[in-house]
Amino acid sequence: MSAPVLEACGIGAAYGTRRRPVTALHPADFALHAGESVAVIGRSGAGKSTLAEIVLGLRAASTGHVLVHGERFCGAGRTPHAARRHLVQGVPQDAGASLPPRVPVRASIERALARLGVPGDPSARIRAAADTASLDPALLERTPRRLSGGQAQRAAIARAVAVGPDVVVADEPTSALDAATSAGLADALLSLPARTGGALLLVTHDDALAARCDRVLTVRDGVVEQTR
Amino acid sequence: MRSSGRRALASRILAGLGLLTVVGALPWLSQRDPALSVLRARYSELEPTPEAIASVRAELGLEGGPFAISARWWSGVLRGDLGDSWVSGTPVGPGAAQAVGVSATLTLLAVLVCLLVAAALVAPVLRAVARDQPVRGSGPAGVAMTALPEFLLASGFLVLFAVFLRWFPPYGWTGLETAILPAVALGIPAGGLFGRLLGDALAGASRESWVDVWRLAGARRRVIVPAVVRRAAASVVDQMGLIVIGLLGGAVAVEQIFAIPGLGRYLLGAANAQDLPALQAGVLAMAGAAVVIGVVAGAARLWLLGGPLPAGSVAAPPERPHGDRLAQWTFGTGCALLVLVLVAGLPRDPYAIVHGRLEAPSWLLPFGADASGRDLLARVAHGALGTLVPALVIVVAAIAIGLVLAFIPNAVRGPIEVANATPPVIAGVVIAALFGPTMGGAAAAVLWVSWPPLASHAVALVEEAKAMPHVKWLPLAGVRPFEVMTRHVVPVVAPALARHGMLRLPGIALALASLGFLGLGAQPPAPEWGRLLAEGIDYVERAPWATAAPAATLVLVSVIAVAAASLQGSQLPRPPRDGREKPEVQPADGVSA
Repeated sequence: MSAPVLEACGIGAAYGTRRRPVTALHPADFALHAGESVAVIGRSGAGKSTLAEIVLGLRAASTGHVLVHGERFCGAGRTPHAARRHLVQGVPQDAGASLPPRVPVRASIERALARLGVPGDPSARIRAAADTASLDPALLERTPRRLSGGQAQRAAIARAVAVGPDVVVADEPTSALDAATSAGLADALLSLPARTGGALLLVTHDDALAARCDRVLTVRDGVVEQTR
Repeated sequence: MRSSGRRALASRILAGLGLLTVVGALPWLSQRDPALSVLRARYSELEPTPEAIASVRAELGLEGGPFAISARWWSGVLRGDLGDSWVSGTPVGPGAAQAVGVSATLTLLAVLVCLLVAAALVAPVLRAVARDQPVRGSGPAGVAMTALPEFLLASGFLVLFAVFLRWFPPYGWTGLETAILPAVALGIPAGGLFGRLLGDALAGASRESWVDVWRLAGARRRVIVPAVVRRAAASVVDQMGLIVIGLLGGAVAVEQIFAIPGLGRYLLGAANAQDLPALQAGVLAMAGAAVVIGVVAGAARLWLLGGPLPAGSVAAPPERPHGDRLAQWTFGTGCALLVLVLVAGLPRDPYAIVHGRLEAPSWLLPFGADASGRDLLARVAHGALGTLVPALVIVVAAIAIGLVLAFIPNAVRGPIEVANATPPVIAGVVIAALFGPTMGGAAAAVLWVSWPPLASHAVALVEEAKAMPHVKWLPLAGVRPFEVMTRHVVPVVAPALARHGMLRLPGIALALASLGFLGLGAQPPAPEWGRLLAEGIDYVERAPWATAAPAATLVLVSVIAVAAASLQGSQLPRPPRDGREKPEVQPADGVSA
């Protein structure tokens, strides 16, 4: 097998005081390879979202580090370097509230492309990303408030994909949607590794959705283990 | 995150140590050379040669840096030596002890009045609880009692009961009859505030579901009422401690007005004479009293709750916003009247001496003239600018401080607590003693006590804004932390902070006026409301209008301040009480399937 895109080396998280730390996530090791989709399942509060936030670099791990292409991406007490942010992008649980509320989706994406220093023609990238996310390009001109739940979720996927990441982390992307919308969205997400050649880390509590991924990691009381 | 508790503790310890050092190093802080003036005052025959000044410095204990001076002073305090007065050269200990005795008596009487007033306010609420009638919380009586600051109330009592009615002696400290007016003037605002807090807490506690459960189980009145009182008292006991500490501050003005030789007047005298050893002794006594009160309040909370719970762990029962419509109406009318005075008075000249001394009010001179023959309407209107503009500057500065400090929330916890427990008058006295009485000094003193509420609010708002999903996910779009703060967090929290600051404006203006009244703020001939009242009160028998004009505007501002405070209660966002906020990770055994 080829070298992994992303390696998590003993990443763990704790909160609370030093005298009484509460462990959210025990040190975990796993790897993601190009073109594969990996599900993270577990009950509410098991530590799935914490795992996703650490891999995304939104939350500093208390132990361990994350390697992307064999180089350090983020680690204990260190957030990712701005020049490497584009390597790992995410799709949030509540996309409608997670995009800047007063900015049209297209402007949000353009801003992200500019800040992250993504080369190429922005409008072509955005068109391609909208196509990948099956988002009607007309909806790009709306602000997130004027999108439905499913549309906002596709907009978030488009935003993440436009940057050209090697890893996409989706944190419960379908949990706020109805069954039909959720099925359509799952198809769009699960097709990402094949279409972009990157890896997908899909955090979910939906066993059916997890079953469609190549591998499954289970988080139980903060302990991560591969179950399939 | 994990060291937040330690950082808050360290912040408290550092703030406390800093305060101790500052008190000890006050002589160094004053930055004027006291050695020279002491040399002139005491040894007029000596030439001010460097050697002579150095020997006086050594005698005063002024050599070395701030830490050496502070350490020396504290080691003296621990041996029971408070130092010698710079003015008289005699030890300051005995004089300070005498003042503490007088103040303790006055404070006890004031607390008695406070409890009586609070009991009267709370009685109707308790009756409603006992009879299981709908409980409405405190009424407008409590609001009215808290409206007037102590210095205004004390001046009013002096004029009405001592000068016109002659029921009580106007000043002195010779027996119970001289203590009644000051104790009442101190006790009424404190009692009004305590009664309001306790009444609202009782109303909230009586609506909690356990009360219904007890009633359904057949519990009697004499079981339910004490239980409700205990539940309500536990949540206001900390406030009671702060109210009593506030009494110590209010006592400065009241003791000055009634010429009572207590700690407040002692401090004021020390500040005016810039006798720093005496000031240090007074501040030490005040701080000691505050610590004693804090310990008593802590013990009371422990007794009420029966366990080592940290402060603030029992949420205050939900408070009902009351009198919204009335508060809005009062606020609007008050502001309109104030604008009317400004429009009528600002074009007039506040400094020209063109009228008769103490001329009576007439059509041409609506408020009359003061003792120098200056137009009082002009002076009151310009005084509004002299008081409100500095107040506005203070509000803006407090918001700015709050926003800056909001980004290091745990580090500012200690300073916030220290500043919270300092009455503005005490801060004003210390600053005036150090730098001389100026408007800037008074403004700095008021700023010192008014930034904490705005800073705490800013901390809460910033935390809330940072937790919003779209702000949390901004780093993924390459937005750097500094930009997240300046472009996405501050614009969201600034309007709420500005509104909060504006609602505090009248209260801040009153605090400035009370410092002006004590001569610690603006100096003559500048028109400033507190000063105008102090100037007018000397002629209250011959020319009541010289007192009435500034007093009326101050009452107007007090009414606006109270109305603003109740508007604030209903407008500011409240922290979520229902605990629905998702914890980061639930403990394993608490997970439900």
